[in-house]
Amino acid sequence: MKEFIDKILQSDKTLAFPIMTHPGIEALGKTVKDAVTDGQIHFQAIKYLSENYNTVACSSIMDLTVEAEAFGATVSLPDDEIPSVTGRLLSDAESIAALEVPSLEAGRIPQYLLANKLATEAIKDKPLFSGCIGPFSLAGRLYDMSEIMVAIYIEPNGILQLLGKCTDFLVNYCKALKACGTQGIVIAEPAAGLLSGDDCMLYSTDFVKRIVKAVQDDTFTVILHNCGNTGQCTQAMVASGAKALHFGNTIDMEDVLNECPSDILVLGNLNPVGVFKHGGAGLVRIETKALLAKVGKHKNFVISSGCDLPPHVPEANIHAFLETVEEYKN
Amino acid sequence: MNSELLEKLSECVEFGKINLLSPYPPQMKGQPGADEITKEALESGVTPTEILNDALIFAMNKVGQKFSENKIFVPQMLLSAKAMGASMVHLKPFFANGTVQRKGVFILGTVFGDLHDIGKNLFGMMVEGAGWEVIDLGIDVKTEKFVEAVQQHPTAVVGISALLTTTMVNMKPVIDAIKAVSPSTKVIVGGAPLSADFAATIGADGYGKNPQEGIVWLDKILA
Repeated sequence: MKEFIDKILQSDKTLAFPIMTHPGIEALGKTVKDAVTDGQIHFQAIKYLSENYNTVACSSIMDLTVEAEAFGATVSLPDDEIPSVTGRLLSDAESIAALEVPSLEAGRIPQYLLANKLATEAIKDKPLFSGCIGPFSLAGRLYDMSEIMVAIYIEPNGILQLLGKCTDFLVNYCKALKACGTQGIVIAEPAAGLLSGDDCMLYSTDFVKRIVKAVQDDTFTVILHNCGNTGQCTQAMVASGAKALHFGNTIDMEDVLNECPSDILVLGNLNPVGVFKHGGAGLVRIETKALLAKVGKHKNFVISSGCDLPPHVPEANIHAFLETVEEYKN
Repeated sequence: MNSELLEKLSECVEFGKINLLSPYPPQMKGQPGADEITKEALESGVTPTEILNDALIFAMNKVGQKFSENKIFVPQMLLSAKAMGASMVHLKPFFANGTVQRKGVFILGTVFGDLHDIGKNLFGMMVEGAGWEVIDLGIDVKTEKFVEAVQQHPTAVVGISALLTTTMVNMKPVIDAIKAVSPSTKVIVGGAPLSADFAATIGADGYGKNPQEGIVWLDKILA
């Protein structure tokens, strides 16, 4: 952690870390389903991106279903779309009480561990960040996202119990990812951004803190991602103890950087859909320049996509982004 | 007395007090909720139309406004919608026999290929709270199902939701098919990855960045 964070804080240039794996999957001629079910293909996609794009770090797939599937949720795995949880695994206090924390052998977890292990063995010139879902977002996938939003007020004790079980699993999973040799983890907690700041603190931050405490040290950085936050959750994100925070495109990065301590890395927040996927290279350059002009002066700022890049982002747009960042440096 | 009941009901919906047993909001714990107060209001002679217009629509409008101003968030909004639903249960017979007229029919669904429903559910509840009859087709709704629903309800407005960048592109064939059988049918789209520009390029008549924007658009097309 220290080395990665020091490198950024001491750099006189803004560094780029777009969260992406789909462009690598597509470059290999593989489908999303291939990559999320086969650790070898997943690894090859990470390696391709690491070798072909000048980024400060690389990341593994942000698959927000793999942990829920390990708990027993059913998952839809279309060929060329990101996976989705289908149905509802838990519906009441009894089913929460009966829920068992799964082992790391469940579902596709072994394939994700394999991909991370192979990637850390092969990529030596830049850090690799693993990915996992956040506790509240995982609980929402198990209990139903609409229902958990209501249940935090109607059945708060049951939801807190569920969050405890989700966190037990995530701590184990993050420790295993760390043992693969990765340099950090991106914890994706988008559903917490639908909550008020106080609720985010109670139903997300308090549990994220447990993960941070279990894995973050000088060799391993936690990046907490919350693309749903429009500003109300920023202090709750800071309170997690994560040394890096990643923001979505709906937030004003100037406000965020003014609000966050200067020793915490702040990453974000170009629109992954409107700019990277549907915009042309020209729009990518304009938006990248505008963001750099606005907040590039902050030493703790890392320019990134506001969320992971979706499938079918034109390669030319990623190159336009990285070239623009490079030009700004010079 | 009647205005007091309408005021109480409005407060229950605004603050998400569903029924007597519901512990939320804490300051109203142990008090009757939208369920009981609606029943009492009807028994006291308050008309269903007054309940709908002066309590439910009035309260949900305030809820939508507070949500768009980031004063409340998704859980509070869903609780308000649940409270409204508890009241609506008592009004259903009056909708069915024509005593109460709603603004129109709104057909709603998440586009085919997409299994997400929170945005759709939120918007559906807000539309119902704005005085429309909502026909929720669910998630992963095929084009033919939308078309069939439009043919059954020719004056309906259609809402299509998508959360994924890979499924938002499925909205255009649905809109094309709806317009082919019913050119005058209005279609509004919404979902996290969408934008007003994208909505225009796929031939949607409206776009809602948030539920309240969608409600404002619906009110406009009625005017």
